[in-house]
Amino acid sequence: MIARDRNWLLIFVVCVALAILYPFLADGYQLTVIRDALIFGLFAASLDFFWGRTGILCFGHAAFFGIGGYVMALVTLNDANPFGGLLGIVGAIAGAAFVAAIIGYFLFFGGIRGSYFTIVTLAMGVICQQAAVSWSSVTGGDSGLIGIPPIEFDVGGRNVDLSQDLPSYIFVSAIVAVVVLALWSISRGRWGTVLTAIQDNEVRAAALGHNAPLRLLVTFILSAAIAGLAGALYVCMAGLVAPDLSGLLLSTEVIVWVAVGGRGTLLGPVLGAIFIQRAQQTISSFNPSLWPLLLGCVFVIIVFVLPDGILSIHARLRSLFKGRRQA
Amino acid sequence: MDFAVTTLLNALTLISILMLVGLGLAISFGLMNVTNLAHGEFVTVGAFAVYFVQSIGGSFWLGLLAAPIAGAVVGCILEFAIIRHLYSRPVSTVLATWGVSLILQQGLELTFGLGAKPVTPPIEGTFDLFFTVYPAYRLILIGIAMATLLGLILLISRTSFGLDIRTVIQNREMAEGVGINTRRTYAIAFTFGAAIAGLAGGLVAPLAIVLPQMGVNYLANAFFVVIVGGVGSIAGLVAGSVFVGGLTSILNYQISPSLAQAIVLLAAIVAVRLRPNGLFNGASR
Repeated sequence: MIARDRNWLLIFVVCVALAILYPFLADGYQLTVIRDALIFGLFAASLDFFWGRTGILCFGHAAFFGIGGYVMALVTLNDANPFGGLLGIVGAIAGAAFVAAIIGYFLFFGGIRGSYFTIVTLAMGVICQQAAVSWSSVTGGDSGLIGIPPIEFDVGGRNVDLSQDLPSYIFVSAIVAVVVLALWSISRGRWGTVLTAIQDNEVRAAALGHNAPLRLLVTFILSAAIAGLAGALYVCMAGLVAPDLSGLLLSTEVIVWVAVGGRGTLLGPVLGAIFIQRAQQTISSFNPSLWPLLLGCVFVIIVFVLPDGILSIHARLRSLFKGRRQA
Repeated sequence: MDFAVTTLLNALTLISILMLVGLGLAISFGLMNVTNLAHGEFVTVGAFAVYFVQSIGGSFWLGLLAAPIAGAVVGCILEFAIIRHLYSRPVSTVLATWGVSLILQQGLELTFGLGAKPVTPPIEGTFDLFFTVYPAYRLILIGIAMATLLGLILLISRTSFGLDIRTVIQNREMAEGVGINTRRTYAIAFTFGAAIAGLAGGLVAPLAIVLPQMGVNYLANAFFVVIVGGVGSIAGLVAGSVFVGGLTSILNYQISPSLAQAIVLLAAIVAVRLRPNGLFNGASR
C-alpha cells in the first residue's frame, strides 16, 4: 500500500470517528444541520468522482440531484406505492442514471469532450430547472411539492423511523461513508487508472484497447446515480422539493465545494461542502444577496491562489518556505 | 400567408440577436479556445446601459451607443485581469469567468435594485408590410443587426486587422513568427466580441425582460449557435443562428417556451452527434 493511500485511509478513519463522536456532543438541531450538509457532501463526492477522475467538468450536475429529488417525491407521494421511501430511492437512482445514460451516450460517442461537454451540461441544467417550473401538473411548478414523508423501514424486527434526528443522522452518515469508500476503491483500482490514462491521452488509451467512450459513459452514469441518491435523501429529509434543487446555482455551488475541498480526493469535497455551507449560513444571515457575490469571488480566488483546493495550502506553504530558504 | 411572414420575421429577429451574441463567443470559444461563461453578462450590461441612459433622461439611441461601449469596457477589463493569465488552463477559465459572471449579476442587482427594468423602444407602432403588420422596432432591430454583420464581414476580410485575426486563428505560433502580436490581437478581438454582445443587449432591451440574470439564457443559446454552426467562419455562425433561432421561433408557436428550448437543446445535441465539426466546417484546423 503506497503512502498516499495510507494517508487517505487515515483521514477517512479520523472523519468517521468524528462523525461517530459528534452525536454525543451536539444537540438535535446541530445534528440535522450536519446531516443536510453531509447529503450535499455526498453530492459533491459524486461530481468529484467524474470531474476528478476524467478531468471533464459537468456544469449541470444539479440536474441529476433534482431528478433524484423529484422522482423520490413523486414515488412517495403516490398512494399506490406499498414500499414507501426505499422504492423512491431506487427510482431516484434509476431515473438520474437513465437521463445520464441518454445524454452521455450522445456526448461521449459523439466525441464531445472538454469545454464542449461543460457547455452542453450547463444548458442541460438550465433546461431541467425550466422543465421543473413549467411542467406544473407533475412537478408543482415554482412552489414545488410538499409533504414528502420520511423514510421508514424495519431492520431485524425493529422499526427505524428517519423523521427522528439521531436515526436520520446515522443513516445518512453511514451511506456517505460507504459510498465515498466505494468510490475511492473504484478510482484507485484498475478502473481509475484507465480513466487517468484516457484523461492524459485518449487516442493512446484507445490504441491500447480501452473503449474510452464506454468507460467515460459508465463513470458518468455512476456519478449521476449517486447525485440522484443524494437528491432523494435530501428531499425526504427536508420534506419538500423545489425547482432550485436542479438549478444552476446549486450546480455551481457543488463545483465550488469540490474545487475548495480538492479535486480528485473524494473526501475533500465532502469536507468542502460542510465547511462552505456553514460559511454560507453565517453570511446569509447578515445579507442574503451577499452570498452569490462572495461565491463569485471565491471562484476567482480559487483559480488564482489555490488551484488544488484547501488541502493544498499545506503543500504550497511548504514549497514557499523551501523557496525562501534556498534563496 | 401573414402567419408565415410573421413567423419568418420573428425568427429573423431572434436569429439576428443570436448572431450578434454568438459572434463574440465564436471569437473567444471557437478561435481562442477560451470558454467565457461571463459572455451572457455582456448582453446584460448592454441592456442595463440602455436602461441607465434612459433613466437619466437620455434617448434610446444614445443608450444604444452606450451599450457596446459598456460591453467593451467590461470585456477589456475581464481580458486584462483574468483571461489572459489562463490561456493554458481551460477549466480554470471556466471557473473564473463563472465567478465574474456571478459578481457582475449581483453587482448590477445591488446597484440598480431588484425587479425588471423598463426600457421603452424608440418607435412605437407597427409597419404595414403588405402581407402583414409588424412592430416597427423589430424591423429596425433586424436592419441594424444585418448592417453590423455586414460591417464585420468587411472588417475581417478587407482590413489588415482582419488579416491578423485570420492569421492567428490558422496558426498561432506561425503568426507570432511573422511578427504579429498575438496577445494584443486576442485582447482586441475579445473586447470587440464583448462590444458586439453589448450592442445585442441594447437592441434586445425593449423586447426582453431586463434583469441582472437575463444573460444566462443568451449564453446557453449562443454556445449552441457556435457549437452547431462550427467554429471558424461567418457562414458557420449564420448557419448555427438560423438552426437555433429558427427552430425556437417555429416551436414557440406550438408549445410552451421552456419545452421549445428543451427540444432545441436536444436537436442541437443530436446535430453535434451527427456532424461533430459543425454544419459548416469552415477553417481547416
